[in-house]
Amino acid sequence: MTVAESTFENLRLELRRGCLTLAVLAQLREEHYGYTLRKDLAERGLEIDESTLYPLLRRLETQGLLASEWREEDKRNKRFYRLSPEGEQILARLLDEWNTINTSVSRILDATDAETK
Amino acid sequence: MELLERYLQAVRKYLPLRRQDDIVAELRANMESQIEDRESELGRALTQGEFEDLLRKMGHPMLVASRYRPQQYLIGPTMFPMYFYVLRIAMLWAFIICMIVAAVVTPLTQGGGQAVVDALFRTPGTLIQVAAWITLVFAGFDFARTHYPQVCPPIPGITQNWNPSSLPPLEKGEHSGKPRSFTQTVIEVVMDVLFLGWLLLIPHHPFVLMGPGAAYLEAGPFLLAPAWWTFYWLLIAMNIMQVAWKCIELARGTWEHPSRLLQIVSKAVGLIPFIFLLTTQDHRYVLLKNPAVDQMRYGQTLHQVNEGLHFAFVVVCAIVVVQLAFDIGKWILEDYRSRFARA
Repeated sequence: MTVAESTFENLRLELRRGCLTLAVLAQLREEHYGYTLRKDLAERGLEIDESTLYPLLRRLETQGLLASEWREEDKRNKRFYRLSPEGEQILARLLDEWNTINTSVSRILDATDAETK
Repeated sequence: MELLERYLQAVRKYLPLRRQDDIVAELRANMESQIEDRESELGRALTQGEFEDLLRKMGHPMLVASRYRPQQYLIGPTMFPMYFYVLRIAMLWAFIICMIVAAVVTPLTQGGGQAVVDALFRTPGTLIQVAAWITLVFAGFDFARTHYPQVCPPIPGITQNWNPSSLPPLEKGEHSGKPRSFTQTVIEVVMDVLFLGWLLLIPHHPFVLMGPGAAYLEAGPFLLAPAWWTFYWLLIAMNIMQVAWKCIELARGTWEHPSRLLQIVSKAVGLIPFIFLLTTQDHRYVLLKNPAVDQMRYGQTLHQVNEGLHFAFVVVCAIVVVQLAFDIGKWILEDYRSRFARA
């Protein structure tokens, strides 16, 4: 891997990290267990590794943003996650932040495009 | 499925003890669902190779387990810049002190080349100890700050009540400020020549150096040791070099920004006369004119004067060495910065 590729990879991971948290929180407005959550996110275009998603779920739960419970489904015990009341509040604030950043970046890109033309 | 069990067993070994069962149970449930899904897509059981691919994609057990652990560091990003700054300063001073001890104090107190070599070899160990203690203190402070924020107060002047007016004034760079003018350089050369002339007058007219004290020295029981003559001629040689250097600068048209390297070399050469005095045998800087007659009366005073002079030379040498080390460090830093800026 060249230095440029390595720099890009680091920046990409940095950019994705916050976005993934937001996507996971948003997706967990409905209850899921790890594997189905990963499948749903992938179907919506957001691929995420198991080794990233499962620890992330634990971390968000430790932070009080998710609630979980073990339950039997299809004769197998699974841990189901959903957004906690605190998680809902945080998600709403994060979405506001996301929209603000998104709008600002689009405005900056539009202005730059207009200048180059 | 045996491979899955082996995989989970390997992951378990790297997990935090209290959460091992819970995490492994969840991983197993998720992976079994994934395998089932894949098998129903294919309409058959997974082959050994496909199973291995699935586990490979999941990642090495150690890496998978490491992601369940909180991010761990000795000194966090908030404290790190302060830690690194203190570490650099402390290492620099520790190095300077080690060098002074090795080059000045050890030869005077223990003598012998072996003692100096031993002192030099102790330097890396001392530096590692200094770095270890600073790291330990900062790691402890960072741990307390992050784990017990209510107990650990904010750092006054840094994390609270920071005052922009307290910033240090602008530092002078190598070529900052007004360049040295031609007139200034010529005046410096003239003054240096006058100083040299004054120095040359001293042997025949000691009054120009000591004033009325010259008459007391003449009449008193003491006289200066021959070592002063060598010191004197070394001083003359150095001043001639300095005048020559400035004349060369004038001739080459490079007087505006004197070479930093030559300044450092000049300061280093300036140490030679003092080092010579320090190495004078038995610290005999002042002698008795008639030792047979005056030894009883002035012997004690003579000893005190010689030891006092020796101590003064040690102090002067130590100050010049510290200044020299500081100048060299600054020069290296400026050179590094300018190279980095050009790159």
